[in-house]
Amino acid sequence: METEIDRRIIIFILASVALIVLPHSGHIPISLLVFFYSLLIWRFCVLWDKKWIPKKWLVSLLSAIAIYQLYSLNQGVFGRDAGTSIFITALGLKILESNKEQDFYLVSYLAFVVASSQFLYSQSILMLGYILFVTCSLFAALITLNTKNNDAKPAIKKILTMTAQAIPITVLLFFMFPRIDPPDWLLFNQQNTAVSGLSDTLRPGSISKLGFSHDLVFRAKFKGKIPPVQDLYWRGPVFSQTDGLNWTETNNRHFLRQMDKLVTYGQPSHYTVMMEPQDGHWIFTLDMPTVYPQKLIKNGLFQLLNPTKPKKRKQYEITSFLKFNTGKLTDTEYSDNTQLPAQPMPEVTQLVNELKGDNDSAQFLISAIFHHFKNNDFSYTLNPPVMEINPIETFLFKARSGFCGHYATAFVYLLRVANIPARVVSGYQGGSINKVGNFLEIKQSDAHAWAEVWLENKGWVRFDPTSAVAPDQFSEQNLESSTAEKQKNFEIIENKNLFNRWVTRAGDVWSNMDYEWQQWIIHYRGEKQSKFLSSWGITGIKSMFYWLTVLVFFMLGLFTWVILRNQKTNIDKVLMTYQRFCDSLAKVGVIKRKAETAHDFALRAKQLRPDLANNISLITWSYINLQYKKDSGIDDFKAFKKQVNSFKA
Amino acid sequence: MFKNIRFFKRDNTVEKVVDLNHQRVFILPTNKGLSFLVLIAILFLIAFVYNNNLCYLLAFLLSSIFLISILHSYQSIFGLRLELIGCNKVFAGEMAEVNLLLSNPGNIDRVNLNIGFSKSNKLSLGKQKQKKLTFFLFVEKRGWHRMNKIVISSTYPFGFFTVWSPIRFSKKYLAYPALASDNCPLPMMDIEESVEEELMNSSIAGGDDFYGLKTYQDGDAIKQIDWKSFAKGQGLYIKQFQKNATASNQQLWLDYDFTTASDLEEKLSQLCRWVVDAEKQGLDYGFSLPGFSLQPSHGLNHYQQCLEALALYRPVVID
Amino acid sequence: MDVNLSTLFDSANQVILGKEHQIKLAVCCLLARGHLLIEDIPGVGKTTLSHTLAKLLGLDYQRIQFTSDIMPADIIGSSIFNASKSEFTFHPGPIFNQMVLADEINRATPRAQSALLEAMEENQVTVEGVSYDLPSPFFVIATQNPSHQLGTFSLPESQLDRFLMRIQLGYPDQQAERNLLTGVDRRFIIDELQVMLPPERLSQMQNEITGIYTSPALLDYVQALINFTRESDEFNYGLSPRAGLALLTAAKSWAYMKGGDAVLPEDVQTVLPAVAGHRLKSSNSNSDLVVESLLQHVEVS
Repeated sequence: METEIDRRIIIFILASVALIVLPHSGHIPISLLVFFYSLLIWRFCVLWDKKWIPKKWLVSLLSAIAIYQLYSLNQGVFGRDAGTSIFITALGLKILESNKEQDFYLVSYLAFVVASSQFLYSQSILMLGYILFVTCSLFAALITLNTKNNDAKPAIKKILTMTAQAIPITVLLFFMFPRIDPPDWLLFNQQNTAVSGLSDTLRPGSISKLGFSHDLVFRAKFKGKIPPVQDLYWRGPVFSQTDGLNWTETNNRHFLRQMDKLVTYGQPSHYTVMMEPQDGHWIFTLDMPTVYPQKLIKNGLFQLLNPTKPKKRKQYEITSFLKFNTGKLTDTEYSDNTQLPAQPMPEVTQLVNELKGDNDSAQFLISAIFHHFKNNDFSYTLNPPVMEINPIETFLFKARSGFCGHYATAFVYLLRVANIPARVVSGYQGGSINKVGNFLEIKQSDAHAWAEVWLENKGWVRFDPTSAVAPDQFSEQNLESSTAEKQKNFEIIENKNLFNRWVTRAGDVWSNMDYEWQQWIIHYRGEKQSKFLSSWGITGIKSMFYWLTVLVFFMLGLFTWVILRNQKTNIDKVLMTYQRFCDSLAKVGVIKRKAETAHDFALRAKQLRPDLANNISLITWSYINLQYKKDSGIDDFKAFKKQVNSFKA
Repeated sequence: MFKNIRFFKRDNTVEKVVDLNHQRVFILPTNKGLSFLVLIAILFLIAFVYNNNLCYLLAFLLSSIFLISILHSYQSIFGLRLELIGCNKVFAGEMAEVNLLLSNPGNIDRVNLNIGFSKSNKLSLGKQKQKKLTFFLFVEKRGWHRMNKIVISSTYPFGFFTVWSPIRFSKKYLAYPALASDNCPLPMMDIEESVEEELMNSSIAGGDDFYGLKTYQDGDAIKQIDWKSFAKGQGLYIKQFQKNATASNQQLWLDYDFTTASDLEEKLSQLCRWVVDAEKQGLDYGFSLPGFSLQPSHGLNHYQQCLEALALYRPVVID
Repeated sequence: MDVNLSTLFDSANQVILGKEHQIKLAVCCLLARGHLLIEDIPGVGKTTLSHTLAKLLGLDYQRIQFTSDIMPADIIGSSIFNASKSEFTFHPGPIFNQMVLADEINRATPRAQSALLEAMEENQVTVEGVSYDLPSPFFVIATQNPSHQLGTFSLPESQLDRFLMRIQLGYPDQQAERNLLTGVDRRFIIDELQVMLPPERLSQMQNEITGIYTSPALLDYVQALINFTRESDEFNYGLSPRAGLALLTAAKSWAYMKGGDAVLPEDVQTVLPAVAGHRLKSSNSNSDLVVESLLQHVEVS
């Protein structure tokens, strides 16, 4: 009974499926990819020559190989990668043995699952566009398969119409369908896709690698004004311990309770931090965070930490006070932050004594060190000479050039030699403003290191020794042109070149789109949804479902009307309008006979109702013109309709 | 599958023209459609487990397209108009020809339509086009027959839904008895001889209708030679006369009692054959069944009356 | 209406009294390139009508009186041996005229009838393997006595189909009858008629008629009419596709005569009795009634 499916239809389906699997080439094992595409090509060969049809035992063998392969990949059965692999393998095997219509339907269904799995790897706008495209292609292929019509054009036209009609409903479902967070046990071990950012060890040189990277780390959107740039220090790892070479975080950071009470003053700053997937636990915030989501932990280093590493983009509502006093120092803190790896070299001690002079005040020493950096040919570079042994001494006395890490560590070291508690803080500084979305984008190239010094009556105070040598952080001769737009202050350089300005602008638009994308599509769930919907007066799952149902049915009704209304031809419309005219005459007893032509009827009607003669003539004349004469257009019809509507018998 | 659903068997016959409106068009998901729902469920599961909004989006898109495809399936046969042009009368054992006119008054192309009585045929119909369809129904028995249900269906566009409209025309068609085989000569009563004799006389009597002239051939009757034309020197012609049945006083009676067969149906078959043969030969024939008889005549009306009587004949049972 | 046409009608109405509608139909038929069948009892002016039309249109005119012994050769002509040239030469018969009146066609034998009808259909005559084209324009006006009269061979349905229209003249009314009785002999009037519509103008008009617009709605109506005859039990046979075309052509021609540029349903209704009457065989013998019931049953769209 089943007729053979046209070769072109099968090609259409296979091509669509091949396109769907294609983006996976980046993240599934290469052997699996080769396996799948070999099967696909094999199926293509069968199209040209029947002798390529695989025997039953061969298919079984291939299945066994596939199972072995899956087993050897050691991905298990559950989880994203395992699932994807299993579906792709099944898809390949099914394609090979597909012959009948139902087989190809199953292939298409499997392909849809694979298409869905693409989103587990990438959630970009581009990926969505791509998947939308291949989905349409696959649907069009299904139409040709169902109609057995190898002409793809009407099928493509059909699916485009249908997609256009489906999108409003999709949007409605998307925003109104209640999202429930899955229970924890359902969260399979997901692979870490986070970009590595700041390390928990500072080794002069390691930050420099980040200096060129334009990867986005996080975004910050402020409610209200963005604080001035000198306050935009996003706190990350805090380094207290050093062995002279590496700086690491201290383990004694969980004693917030024993610490002195934090006093804040001034205006708080409210903002949302939206983090890209991260390698570390740090949530980068401005000093000093006071209000933050409950699941985050604030420790004795005043860092905000996420106990589970955020594998996905997450956003947090934060409130920080930019002015604060941390109060007294605990003993542990004191010893941690005055720790030195060994006795300092004599030159260092001599330098400190020189700088300190007679004055014992920490403040004086700090400004002296700043002066020292400024007046002694210290320079800023992202490509400093190698300082493997005694980096601080080499930096201070020989190289005299380096970047933030060098300056911060040297600064802290010098203070500690003078027995002043100080530590290195790394994180990000500044950020570039997105004028379209009015938010800050903080990239890896914004990574920075600065120092914190404990001062009597002031608590921990931030000092940025790098600013002594590079008020703009980067001196011009070392600047890559690509980092030019990154400025310490946010003033976008008024570029003389119009083209560049447009490029910058376009970049901003794209970034903003991406931001809104993250906000409204990727992170639209749970709380966000209920917040959004309640702004429309919809609260609770029950009313969500209620409104969803109502609106979906309303839309379907609308489309039913649109689709089935098209059925009427022009002739029908004209006739129906004329019928209305006849009906209104019939009410006053002037009934049109079946065989009577419009003209004859008009004559008779005019005799019976001379008072209406003019209107009857007019309408009849229009009707005859529309119905029987050439070249009557839509305007004529509208005029006719108007005449009939205003006709009263 | 749907043919067996009782609910849809309710009787709503139509006279002649039927517009496929919402009362006549039914829709149900197919197995493919149901499995597509399973697919959507799987996509939702993936979206839920990974809490991935784009997976949700794809699932929503597929659901929306599934919903929209209901409308498009419905649209594929909605608004079609089927018109019964007629069906010819037929002898039992032959195929009755049913002519239908399927028209598409809308302005969309209809592709992938299936239409047919028991077996469906594929066809497509452009916008504002119409197509004449001819179906053949095998007829087993004589008498009135109700027309079978005709089903128009479609699974366009994806095959997720089947829409169909069962239509039963109220018009019945008549089947005459099966024609007996050729070898049952008419119950002629020496008709050959008398006709020939009459022909011989006719030229002299001149009472019969002149038909035309024919060149003389050896063996033609001398009496029929057209001497006038011969005298004009145009050669030898013979006059030909048309046999005029009305002038004949010969009567042919096709009587139920003359039939040789044993069984009722066979007798009727034989009578049927006679009527057909007699009409073909242009003879006047009388017709008689128990309880029914027609005076000798010929022509379409007479012919049809005889056949109708045969088709509908019911023997009177006497206790 | 065209000036030529209105003067044509005026002149014709002076000759044939009280038959305006029939004359219009006859002209309509000619404009539609159709042949005309006039069915009526002898002496009501069938011959006069055709003669008048021929005169007014300036066409060569020949009358063929059909009798029971008329031979095909008497109509189409015959080859005659020319002794001086030792060859057969074809002598064209009366049919080689632009307008042919086939008088009392149903008195001839079917054989003679078919000779004429074949010529009408093919627009050419074949004698002994040689084809001769008939003149252009070529019209046949056939007259026929009512079939119940004695000594007639009624035309079979297939032949009737070849006439675009059949009209009946009928008796003149009282006034016309009186005028007829008191007036001049019609033959004198005919002799003095001038050509009102020269053949070039006629063929131009015929071309214009093909361009008359028929809207989908009108075609629906025509189809509904045709379908009704096919489905209704009132008729033994429905209208053939050729009849449908004939109806449309005649309606176009009528619309043109009225001066319109598109066919209206009333045009169809007007020509329907003439076009369909002789094609519809009905149990009810009066064809006028049949057509009337057809019109009543079909809704104008």
